[in-house]
Amino acid sequence: MAHFSEALRLSGKDYLREWRISGSFIVALAAVLGPMMVLFGLKFGVIGGMVVELVQDPRNREVLSLGNGHYNLQWIEKMGQRPDVAFVVPRTRRIAADIQLSNKGSSRIVNVELVPSGPGDPLLQGIGNTPTGADQIVLSELAAEKLMVKTGDTIDGSISRMFRGKAERQHLDLKIIVVAPAAVFNREGAFVSVELLQAVEDFRDGRKVPSLGWDGTESGGERVYPGFRLYAKTIYDVAGLQKDLTAQGLQVRTRADDIAVVQDMDRNLTLVFWVIAVIGLAGFALSLGASLLANVDRKRRELSVLRLVGFHTGDIVLFPVVQSILTGLVGWLLASGIFFGVSFAINKMFADQLEVGQSVCRLLPEHFIVALVLTITAAVIAAMLGGLSASRIEPSEGLREI
Amino acid sequence: MENSTEAVLIRPSDKVLIYHLRDVVRTREAEGTGFRLRVPSLQIAMGEKIALIGHSGCGKSTLLDMLAFILQPTESGAFRFRPERSDEPIDIAAYWDKSRQNHLGDLRKKYIGYVMQTGGLVPYLTVRDNISLSRNLLQMTNNDKAVEELAGHLGIRRHLDKYPSALSTGERQRVAIGRALAHRPSIVIADEPTASLDPIAAEKIMNLFIELVDELNITVIVASHAWRHIKKLGLRQLSHRTQRTSDGKLTETVVTG
Repeated sequence: MAHFSEALRLSGKDYLREWRISGSFIVALAAVLGPMMVLFGLKFGVIGGMVVELVQDPRNREVLSLGNGHYNLQWIEKMGQRPDVAFVVPRTRRIAADIQLSNKGSSRIVNVELVPSGPGDPLLQGIGNTPTGADQIVLSELAAEKLMVKTGDTIDGSISRMFRGKAERQHLDLKIIVVAPAAVFNREGAFVSVELLQAVEDFRDGRKVPSLGWDGTESGGERVYPGFRLYAKTIYDVAGLQKDLTAQGLQVRTRADDIAVVQDMDRNLTLVFWVIAVIGLAGFALSLGASLLANVDRKRRELSVLRLVGFHTGDIVLFPVVQSILTGLVGWLLASGIFFGVSFAINKMFADQLEVGQSVCRLLPEHFIVALVLTITAAVIAAMLGGLSASRIEPSEGLREI
Repeated sequence: MENSTEAVLIRPSDKVLIYHLRDVVRTREAEGTGFRLRVPSLQIAMGEKIALIGHSGCGKSTLLDMLAFILQPTESGAFRFRPERSDEPIDIAAYWDKSRQNHLGDLRKKYIGYVMQTGGLVPYLTVRDNISLSRNLLQMTNNDKAVEELAGHLGIRRHLDKYPSALSTGERQRVAIGRALAHRPSIVIADEPTASLDPIAAEKIMNLFIELVDELNITVIVASHAWRHIKKLGLRQLSHRTQRTSDGKLTETVVTG
């Protein structure tokens, strides 16, 4: 133990005494590692930000059915059970999917499109409620402004039809359970339950709606939906879902291509980064290794004196290893300092274009740890040749000048 | 001295041999001509002061290196080392056979002090740290006091916190002597310790060295090419002769004593 701690102490002293040489290697390491950390910070900040946006915006997970299809409830329910599907509701015919809303207190009337919704609707996630039953709606901000209504108000919804030669109109009391911000839906619209949409469609078609007391013909057979609103569980499920549905002969539109572009960019830039990192670190390790080897040669006499006074082979090997690790550690600290300075400047430069809390250049604590582990590993590998050379030093070498 | 109580038990006539060598040979083959050092018999008693006098190249260093366990003999009939009166002799030849280099290093660390011709100091350690190097390795206590006392004897106390590069050659040799003696070894080996100094300084430092060794009751072996003043210090000279072997291929030095 005395040997080990003495060897540690002496190699540290040697390192400090030769601070010019040690310092150059620390700076050389920081010059490689610092820009690499900035580069990775930029990649992580920019691409990571894009990926986070992709993941967070539910619209990127949407799978939109195109044209008119024929889907029964069984098919819709089966889709809903798939592990890669987060949410699915059937859509009724677009032509029957609107309603006239009016504020009872004023004379304002607005025609809005009806969007089928239900529990778990990703678009309404984070704003509170989803509509259930035939008397609840989630009104879009735009529509609510025109109607001059707010959450909690009850408004009148009315639909009309020509039935057996005469015009008919039905009124419904609809409670606004929440107003959806424009970011969720930027047209005049309302999220309602499938039940309400089906009632509206049936009424328009001249069929009766017993639950609401609306008269009409008997409904005929199994209901067929022309489309659906479907959201994949994650953005990574979108491409697979699209492939499956297309294979079934369905026409769907997704943002899979946009997602793929960002993912490709992420992957390619990560690859490029690692190529640069490996080349940079390997180059640094080589130059450090060569200098450590040269150091051992230069200090042969001093090291052999230590062997002469009784230090073991292993203690002498510690010298290049300890000094290499010291270089790695201090170089990493300096590189981290460089990173903080540069990233601060970059983020300040882009501050106007960023939202609060967003940054163009940033690293997570684990990235610093990874950088440290890689650096120390490279340093230890670099010290191997020097260590091997040091292990061969004989005590007799120090005795006489050659 | 640590062994003083035991020394009383042992009759003065009982000579304890710190080194006992028989038929030890070291051969160095070179292009055309080779060199051989042969030691038919060498016995060095504890407390003896030995001088090894001869011109350079006669094999002094080879012998000293073998005695310091840093050069392996090519052949050895017997190579025993007994650093402590109370201990059994240690079979150094067996250690060499088993390549126990670190064991030999441990013996050297504890029992041997080495003064070399020049340098041999660790440049990034202060004089104080250089002198206490072996003491630290041996985890001895009271190092500061011991080092300061020794530095006082050597006249280098005011240099204790300097680095070797700030000292003159003579001062460095004093530090080297200090380091060799600081851990109270059983034997000090000095290879031309004053050869790099001017004659006056050389004599002064040699006197100081032998004086200290005497005082500390440490066995000493000094190699030198200047017999004149060594003789005055009362050292026993090992006899040696150099000759050419009958086949003319080897220069052989035979040391006995």
